[in-house]
Amino acid sequence: MADGGTAGARAVAVADIEDALVARARRGDARAFERLYREHAGRVHGLCLRMARDPQLAEDYTQETFIRAWRALDRFEARSRMSTWLHRIAVNVILERRRRRDLPLEFVEDAAEYDRDNDTLDTPVEEAELEAAIGSLPPGARDVLTLCGIYGYTHGEAAAMLGIAEGTCKAQLHRARALVRARVASGEAR
Amino acid sequence: MNEHERKVASPGELPQEIPPARDLWPGIAAAIGAADDVRAVTAPLEPARRRFAVHPLLGLAAAISCVAVGMWLGRVSAPPVTVAAAPGEPGAAPGGAAPVPAASLALDARFDRAREELLRDVAERLAALPPESRAKVEASLADLQRARTDIEAALGRDPGNALLQAMLVNSYQDEMRVLAAVRDTWGYQEDVGA
Repeated sequence: MADGGTAGARAVAVADIEDALVARARRGDARAFERLYREHAGRVHGLCLRMARDPQLAEDYTQETFIRAWRALDRFEARSRMSTWLHRIAVNVILERRRRRDLPLEFVEDAAEYDRDNDTLDTPVEEAELEAAIGSLPPGARDVLTLCGIYGYTHGEAAAMLGIAEGTCKAQLHRARALVRARVASGEAR
Repeated sequence: MNEHERKVASPGELPQEIPPARDLWPGIAAAIGAADDVRAVTAPLEPARRRFAVHPLLGLAAAISCVAVGMWLGRVSAPPVTVAAAPGEPGAAPGGAAPVPAASLALDARFDRAREELLRDVAERLAALPPESRAKVEASLADLQRARTDIEAALGRDPGNALLQAMLVNSYQDEMRVLAAVRDTWGYQEDVGA
């Protein structure tokens, strides 16, 4: 129990430090914003890389995300999670760029409930193999699996980020899971 | 994607963080440079006390820089108010006869104490850092030290040069910022087990 209490206290301390950095960045302190960048760059870039499937684009999207975040810092609500806020911005950047490149999302309409435990494969595979299977998915299914399956967002959160209905999100995830299983089983992703 | 070897059974086991292959900060910093100017013009001014309350170490750095400015101005332009240093104290010449600028001595001591305290604290953090991060921090500190050595050598030849004095103060400020960042950032990451 003591560990839990300590972890809670530490989490609060981390949030306090982040709030202080945000407050300084809002006043134009680029050094404070750099520290926020260093803290969150890996998570933002990870999302961008998985959704974009292109290292160059992923870097471009990551940069754009932090530039927009800097300009929108006044709209960041204190006590909300900076990492989630940055992910929302990143998803917006990616969707905007896709629209410019005429890459529409493919969405299926049959809804299914998402149970994260059901993501488990029968046999563990190498990370690279699973990443490749996810990367081979159609964009809509890939986005939802990335947000819900890897980053743990709920259907509601992922649907709001992607601008789709929650039912569509569930359907996409159902489809994504089936495709990933099939591709891993057939060895297509290797 | 990078090469992976670890086996996983679900997407939830994949790493959430994938650092970019290169440092993207310089590009971001360049892009927000213009925004910085706009923010500086449009952002409301806040009381200095509140600004420093957010991050006491920055306040300390600023205070130390003021001390350093005072120290150098005192050395260069202040009338030589002197005290006889006691034998064995800093500034005491052999025999205890040489006069030493009093303000300069006191300010030197305050600055050194504050800096040494921060260095001691950061040394523990550094030892706990991953080798790559530690190397980056140590390289930054070494660069600052080299720059300061050059500036001090130049000041030795031209003690009244205001530009060199300002550069020296800046180098101390930069060092304090690096040290404070290490103490804060890595300190709290270590605390949460990252």
